[in-house]
Amino acid sequence: MKVTRRDFLKYCGVSAAALGLTTTELGLLEEALANPNGPTVLWLQGTACTGCSVSLMNRISSTDPKTVADLLINSVNLAYHPNLMALAGQPAAEVTEQAYNKGGYILVVEGGVPQAFGGATCLAWDYNGTPVTFQEAVQDLASRAAKIICVGQCASWGGIPAAPPNPTLVRGVKAATGKTTINIAGCPPHPDWIVWPVVQLLLGKTISLDSSGRPKLLYNRTVHDRCPRRDDDERRSGTTGRCLRPIGCRGPETRADCPSLLWNNRANWCIDANAPCIGCTQPTFPGTAPFYRNLGEADD
Amino acid sequence: MPTVATIDPVTRLEGHLKIEVKVDTVNGVQQVVDAWATGTMFRGFESILVNRHPWDAQHITERICGVCPVSHGMAAVLALESAARITAPANGRIMRNLVLGANYIQSHILHFYHLSAPDFIKGPDMPPWQPSWSADRRIDQSTTNTLVNHYVTALEMRRKAHEMGAIFGARLPHPPAFTQGGITTVPTAAAISRFKTYLNELTSFITNVYVPDVELLTSVYQDYFGIGRGVRNLLAYGVFDLDSAGNTKLLKRGRITGGSNSVQSVDVNAIAEQVTYSWYADSTNNLKPSVGRTTPQYPKNNAYSWLKAPRYNGVAYEVGALARMWVNGNYRGGISVMDRHLARANEARIVALAMQSWIGQIRVGQSVRTQASVPTSATSYGLTEAPRGAIGHWLQISGSKIARYQVVTPTCWNASPRDGAGKRGPIEEALIGTPVQNINEPVEVVRVIHSFDPCLSCAVHVMRPAEGATVFALGHYHGEDEIHEHDHAHVHEHSHG
Repeated sequence: MKVTRRDFLKYCGVSAAALGLTTTELGLLEEALANPNGPTVLWLQGTACTGCSVSLMNRISSTDPKTVADLLINSVNLAYHPNLMALAGQPAAEVTEQAYNKGGYILVVEGGVPQAFGGATCLAWDYNGTPVTFQEAVQDLASRAAKIICVGQCASWGGIPAAPPNPTLVRGVKAATGKTTINIAGCPPHPDWIVWPVVQLLLGKTISLDSSGRPKLLYNRTVHDRCPRRDDDERRSGTTGRCLRPIGCRGPETRADCPSLLWNNRANWCIDANAPCIGCTQPTFPGTAPFYRNLGEADD
Repeated sequence: MPTVATIDPVTRLEGHLKIEVKVDTVNGVQQVVDAWATGTMFRGFESILVNRHPWDAQHITERICGVCPVSHGMAAVLALESAARITAPANGRIMRNLVLGANYIQSHILHFYHLSAPDFIKGPDMPPWQPSWSADRRIDQSTTNTLVNHYVTALEMRRKAHEMGAIFGARLPHPPAFTQGGITTVPTAAAISRFKTYLNELTSFITNVYVPDVELLTSVYQDYFGIGRGVRNLLAYGVFDLDSAGNTKLLKRGRITGGSNSVQSVDVNAIAEQVTYSWYADSTNNLKPSVGRTTPQYPKNNAYSWLKAPRYNGVAYEVGALARMWVNGNYRGGISVMDRHLARANEARIVALAMQSWIGQIRVGQSVRTQASVPTSATSYGLTEAPRGAIGHWLQISGSKIARYQVVTPTCWNASPRDGAGKRGPIEEALIGTPVQNINEPVEVVRVIHSFDPCLSCAVHVMRPAEGATVFALGHYHGEDEIHEHDHAHVHEHSHG
């Protein structure tokens, strides 16, 4: 007998009430999940470091899905994810083929798409004795996806692996496929930035993107706009509690709402720890300019 | 007639790994008689670092891996401090240890529950836990339910370990607070108190849930104490410096050869990377990392991996929690699949307990960072341990910029291909003799691989089977647990995004 989501929740001792959904939210989500199996998500990893998946696993919120367990159990069918899925080898790859044949899946990509050496610097899987490059796999799966979400800098624009000299000629998914992608910037992105578009898609909402493909709602304001240190007099020396622009903070040109969200369940964030913003949500990240300026001269 | 089975991708590890095993029947038992481990990804971080400002190193190298970024950050700042001839003040050293320790706890919990446990128990009846292989499940339904509950709790625990680490690391993964000369975060009494609260909860989980669950698993799968032995040479650079010079460490530096009880010293100059079977130019073969070069060459005759083959005096060494626990004298059970899981769990407890005393050593108001200036030229290295083993960054500064940067990661040691003498790497060697009941569901093989906690982003290619062997691609999954086909809800198309 097939165990349903409701059964599983019961046996984990979690109830809908415990999830704290308002009546409206519950109604909307239940509607979205009218098919209790939810939409199929294929999460592929290219030239990734897995930081984006690790960040997603740090999800904790007062709104649904509250945790990554909620996301996996209640919101989506995560049919393919290399770090979590039970199957290995060709049977795992075949899951993507089944989804491809049906169409209508959400393709999530973490990590970039390299072209060097015919794409051989990143292999997706072996299929019937033949290695399939990540480039081939992404181009195929992108062609029939209902939506493509790029999680992180690498999938969006190539990221650090694309920094000079870009040894593997890596590029983002849009450049590699020609398809429109929703780019969730960040290195890594905040878990809330990763979950938000998934929920929007489940609710059938439009996601408005900026000229770099980032959701406007998430990447509208700069870090500096709401930084608690913005009114600090830059001429004062030192870094503790001070504005960090004198030592190279990229907050003024970096679009992200870190100052409001904070990181790791509001444990901390870069500026509060006196670490200057390195601009990790910008399409040009990391750039070639040094992250720090004058640190040797700055006082504690 | 032997069969070569390909497992690509090997899932539930970090990064991209392909394994090929040659399976044959020996003395009536179908088992692995040869193995090839292929790192199937290369990005070229070492080249990307050249010409950058030295103080970019910790930020860039952290992105080598999102599961062990703290270890890369640590190795980088240690190399930078050595280059600048400075050390971090006590507060900085202790706070960095606490962030690193928090990530050890996160990583070990993740490894046991989320990466390894699905090899042994059946998870919930939905993706990503299904479809799954059903081979060799021995744990009863009631205990399985408990372990599945613990899997879900463990998701929360590893999240909390990262929250704890972020209190001093600024954020996880990829903490920006690690800096040359110390840490950027200034401690407060409130932050220390929050850290302690998290640490108490995590210590309790490790002691009362994680360690007992590992012990339970080892009691049910006792035969795995005799599977996955490997090269029986263990290497640890040591980690968690207890003094500014790094002379005393919580987990010591040392080497074990042939599984003996005597701990030998580590000479960094004995380490070199061979590339005979790796996709790098032969002109770069057998170089010490301090003079190492990364020159990809693909295709290349006989080569089968993007991983180089690190060797110590020409010999392969296993690294990781088991190596650290052996070298430190905390564990001398044995060397096998189950010994690795036990060593990891025990290490998590030892680190958590040590963190309880370190958190009390922070002095609010005292310095967290020693001022540094960039040397015009320098040659240095930073050695530490990632949760999965010994990690080293070798740095050369010239004209105040990075002139060379070489990274030798733990999984490069463990998942290494053969060396010039044709000797297998640790995972390849550990697979020899592994029984394989059903070649369509080689769960025994993945159990051996997973015991090493591989993290391939640090390293990483395809090969052809030996002549005369049949290539076997694992068959389509069939079985009683196959999930029903169903219609998927279609996502609405809109003109934006």
